[in-house]
Amino acid sequence: MVDKIKVYALSTCPYCKRTRKFLDDHKVAYDCVEVDMLDDDAQDKALEEIEKLTGRQSFPVVIIGDEVIVGHDEDRLRGALKL
Amino acid sequence: MNGPGAERVHCPVCQARFRMPGGKGIGDKVICPICGQSLVVRPGQDGPVGERPDLGTEAEIRERVDEYARIKGYSFNEMKEEVIQGLLGKRRRFGDFYCPCRMHHVPEYQCPCKPTRGGDVDRDGKCYCGFFWKK
Repeated sequence: MVDKIKVYALSTCPYCKRTRKFLDDHKVAYDCVEVDMLDDDAQDKALEEIEKLTGRQSFPVVIIGDEVIVGHDEDRLRGALKL
Repeated sequence: MNGPGAERVHCPVCQARFRMPGGKGIGDKVICPICGQSLVVRPGQDGPVGERPDLGTEAEIRERVDEYARIKGYSFNEMKEEVIQGLLGKRRRFGDFYCPCRMHHVPEYQCPCKPTRGGDVDRDGKCYCGFFWKK
């Protein structure tokens, strides 16, 4: 079993919503951080982490084990989750 | 302010100063040709300024993006309604219609954002949020 899946999202981003719905529909448990809703310090920390992982600030970011998926990409989600 | 093109209107959305359309003046409704925003022309300290008559409403953003797409010849896809909901969320939470897929809430990311107005759609086929598409 891989580590708990983590999603970095924006509360207003439609692709983030689609990714979360995809995970929900497939009964996949995950932790979601809505980066735009964090306070300043927590937001800076989250953005640093996202930049370190992806080299940019683009959403959603899904972390499944060693795999980092940027953007709503159902094929890659299926692959990483072995669905 | 009599010569052709002498009178310009300031757009509070994209910050452009566009030429007053022929026959229009103070109190008239005009469309910003740069971002598609509907404006009512008001007198300002440095010349006419556009006022957003439907400030912050769903009608305002829908009219703006439809008008911008019309001006540029862009189209929308099946994400349109979801992106509009995101724009409305930005307005509610962060004060104005900023790109729903971007982290930062700065004037240059007022939809249609500066990179879009600068040619992203023509170059990449779509804008950053996948809202406006090249036909």
